Amino acid sequence: MTEMAQLAKTSVRRHLRASKRRNVFDSTAGRSALQILAVVAFFLLWEVAVRMEWLNAFLVGQPSGVLHVLVSMVADGSLFVDTGYTVFEAILGFAFGTVIGSVIGLTLWYSAFVARLVEPFIAAINSVPKIALAPIIILWFGTGLTSKVALAISLTSIVALITAYQAAKDADKDLQALLFSMGASKHQIFKRVITPSTLPAIIATFRINIGFALVGAVVGEFISSQHGLGHVIYVASSLYDLNTVWAGLFTLMLVGFLFYQMVEVTEQRLLPWKQQMGGTQINV
Amino acid sequence: MSSPKVQLRLNGIRKSFPGKQGPTQVLDGLTFDIHERDFVSIIGPSGCGKTTVFNIIAGLVDPDEGMLMYRGQEVDSLRGKVGYMMQKDLLFPWRTVLDNVLLGLETKGVDPRQAMDTAREYLSTFGLSGFENAYPKMLSGGMRQRVALIRTLVLDPDILLLDEPFSALDYQTRLYLEGILMEAVETFHKTVILVTHDIDEAVALSKRVVVLSQRPARVKAVHDIALNEHSPIAARSDPRFSSYFNTLCAELDIQTRASA
Ligand SMILES: Nc1ncnc2c1ncn2[C@@H]1O[C@H](COP(=O)(O)OP(=O)(O)OP(=O)(O)O)[C@@H](O)[C@H]1O
Ligand SMILES: [Mg+2]
Repeated sequence: MTEMAQLAKTSVRRHLRASKRRNVFDSTAGRSALQILAVVAFFLLWEVAVRMEWLNAFLVGQPSGVLHVLVSMVADGSLFVDTGYTVFEAILGFAFGTVIGSVIGLTLWYSAFVARLVEPFIAAINSVPKIALAPIIILWFGTGLTSKVALAISLTSIVALITAYQAAKDADKDLQALLFSMGASKHQIFKRVITPSTLPAIIATFRINIGFALVGAVVGEFISSQHGLGHVIYVASSLYDLNTVWAGLFTLMLVGFLFYQMVEVTEQRLLPWKQQMGGTQINV
Repeated sequence: MSSPKVQLRLNGIRKSFPGKQGPTQVLDGLTFDIHERDFVSIIGPSGCGKTTVFNIIAGLVDPDEGMLMYRGQEVDSLRGKVGYMMQKDLLFPWRTVLDNVLLGLETKGVDPRQAMDTAREYLSTFGLSGFENAYPKMLSGGMRQRVALIRTLVLDPDILLLDEPFSALDYQTRLYLEGILMEAVETFHKTVILVTHDIDEAVALSKRVVVLSQRPARVKAVHDIALNEHSPIAARSDPRFSSYFNTLCAELDIQTRASA
């Protein structure tokens, strides 16, 4: 029995060591190198395919052309202006949507009666494809910044609301009971148990809502606007200028990626108690 | 010896919970007294309603019938007066050790600076200074249970309700924490009600043991434990220890046979 266990252990260890030896790229630097390599290879292949006329440059664009567009957009500063508009709309939409949604979702915890009353309405609103509201929102809020922010809010707030409400409902009953036995009021339970225990779920929605906020901003710009990456993409595509379309899309991608990284950092800041301690335990 | 003063009296407590096949009667007219500075253990078969008794005393559950008398007065519950340590340690994962200990003081609205001093003092008394800023997830089971105990004591409650506080620990850690508990009870003059599955623990620590029957639970017997010393190790070596142990085992025999 013990021999078997010993044998199993050594074979597991050997296996671990072997797998470690095999995967030289499994480190931060190694992974980054592979990722960059993949991107470079992709663009090279694309460029070659267009030059060899395997692909039609008119229909798919051309990396060198995209680069050319990006350089000229940087030179005349329009890239920063348009990116700035889109980012500003998305951030406002994200922030307001998250705050409004989370606050409503959390407040619903206070009254089970109200919560049950509005639950079907929330489900109904959630099932509407919010993008379909875009024309109405433009009608109401005009063609400026407000309509894009409003569209982003309509997308993000419902996600935050549903998540916050569900997480508040799922908050540990025993922790609430413990606090209640200490004589805590409902408000104290809300502050000390409900809010902190929903925080991880709310932060998890940041990842989704960053994307939704960008969708709201860009779709708003598609429909009617003078600025923004959505505007750039829309105008260029109507002129069959694929290289400019790609330039806008890649910039959007970069913006989304940076937002995502910021969420990771925020999460580590706000949830220090969730950080992995590498499995170490303090023992006295 | 003068007759001891009653601190808490449970009188005819009944409770049933709704179940799939109609309501299940859990407590069936439970009556017993807790004296001032008493140390009472409640033992009984698993699922007989021991935790429910605590929940009623702490005000988490309302009894269907019966009443609670506290120092001669009828009360709804002892919510806010008890220190309830539940079956799980229930440390708040997002709070550090210090903030966990501060929880009750914050809830009571104690001045933050004073609360901080008290909490630190308790932590150092129980050998946890240096861990104030650790999160519960980094602590061993024994340490977590110690923090939970401190959190309960720091409120200076009239009565401690301890629901199997040490059942998840290894024997050594358990003896150690039992010792800490007994010391704290002596120092702070606390009344303790302890729910335990461990007859050994009940005999070693308690002045009295209340035995509950199978569900629906009634008080089957109350035993005075007259040992010279109620400390985890000395008590276990007292010559009378094993006779108490055997009596209580015999009283729970329905369960031993059923589970054998
Ligand atoms: N809130 C509740 N709703 C429904 N049934 C409950 C509730 N609380 C307890 N019960 C039932 O009451 C019975 C007694 O439960 P209780 O937790 O008080 O037992 P216990 O003696 O503490 O058990 P254990 O020794 O396993 O901790 C169980 O059958 C349980 O399922
Ligand atoms: Mg129990």
